[in-house]
Amino acid sequence: MNSPAMNQKDPSRFSRRDLLRIGGIGLISTTILAACSKNDNTAEDGIASIGTIPPSSPLPKVEVTDVVLLRTAASVESNAIDMYNTVLDAGYFTGDFASASNIARRFRDDHVAHVAEINALVVSLGGTAFECANAHVDSLAIQPAIDLIATKDNPDVALDAVSLVHAVETLVAQMHQGFVGQLDDPKLRGSIIHIGQNDVRHVVVLAQLLNPGLSGVQTIADATTGISNVVAVPSAFGGLAIIRPSFGPPNADGLKAVVPMETPSLNAMVYEYVSC
Amino acid sequence: MPVLDSGRPSTVPPKQPTEADLALLGSAQSAELAVRDLYISALTGGNFSDVQISVLELFRDHHTAYAQALNGILGKASTNERNESLVGQFEVQVKNSSTALEALRSLENILVATHTVIVGSLAGLDATNLMASILMTEARHAAVFGSAPNLNVSIALDDVAESLVSPISGGG
Repeated sequence: MNSPAMNQKDPSRFSRRDLLRIGGIGLISTTILAACSKNDNTAEDGIASIGTIPPSSPLPKVEVTDVVLLRTAASVESNAIDMYNTVLDAGYFTGDFASASNIARRFRDDHVAHVAEINALVVSLGGTAFECANAHVDSLAIQPAIDLIATKDNPDVALDAVSLVHAVETLVAQMHQGFVGQLDDPKLRGSIIHIGQNDVRHVVVLAQLLNPGLSGVQTIADATTGISNVVAVPSAFGGLAIIRPSFGPPNADGLKAVVPMETPSLNAMVYEYVSC
Repeated sequence: MPVLDSGRPSTVPPKQPTEADLALLGSAQSAELAVRDLYISALTGGNFSDVQISVLELFRDHHTAYAQALNGILGKASTNERNESLVGQFEVQVKNSSTALEALRSLENILVATHTVIVGSLAGLDATNLMASILMTEARHAAVFGSAPNLNVSIALDDVAESLVSPISGGG
């Protein structure tokens, strides 16, 4: 039987439940007061912060117009020019791939013509010609590959260099094919795919350097690795999938580092406010 | 970095082919059927190595796939008739092993030229994307005849050919 004294609450003592209840009420009250109050240290998005908030400069509103697509196409063609100049200057085409030097010079010159052709279209639409390489493609695809090729103990420099130009030519050709469906003006689509079909012929020639003869035309999986070899005609329809070439010294399992390459998307477009 | 806004003009091109598109796509399908039959003639009449036969069969199958894909876009507008003029122009050459490969390269280049004009004229985006993907592989076919078995870069890159269709003024 409980004594009356035990049932009566001692005002000087709080149970654990009481403390939690009081704490919760306090927290809710503080939150409501903070939400209702005006504070100079509150950013536009309502997040409170400490210290002075610097004024924000709004980002430019951009649209993927025909001019933007063409400027982007010109920039990636310039990537190809820069890449050919880099591998030619470095003297990477040696041994079995020595003949690639002359082919590379020819293809580089084709890309110079393509940049001029595309920029003429840009100017005809009232845009500003873009004559630099695409920084996004350069930093994410080409430079990492070149760094791997130039690794000190890379035993396959010449092979890797041909793999690089093959991969980048594939990227350029795929970009043109992909942009055809994004351009509004049908005439521009015709102009761009005409350039793309020239680039894809480069791909075939380079695929033949890597895997020569008629046996290198259609896809056959490697008996050991199960991975398809580089071939001249990999599929019935032109694809837009990510390209996965590999470069550099093989690891303990005999595998090289893969550098994924994909055609420019929204974050790699050369918008009209972008300059060289 | 800019705000990533893919906002396009409100007047986006149609997805489906227009009436004018259907006529062009019908021409493309007729050309594909003709070239498929010319590959069959080459394989029947020529004297090729096993690896050559394998490549010619592959390319023949590709043209069959293109005609079928175009059939899907054309629907009831499809005639499924081959371009007899093209067949008549090349039939003798493809049946002779010494001239067949060069004739087939010319045919692939004609298809590339024709489809380039069609891509530059179509209004509908679905058909445009299809034609672009077909054209890119046919350019590969043409380059193969210049690069295998003996690599000749000039022939591989040679894309001079007459289109079978005329551009539509103004496009679309």
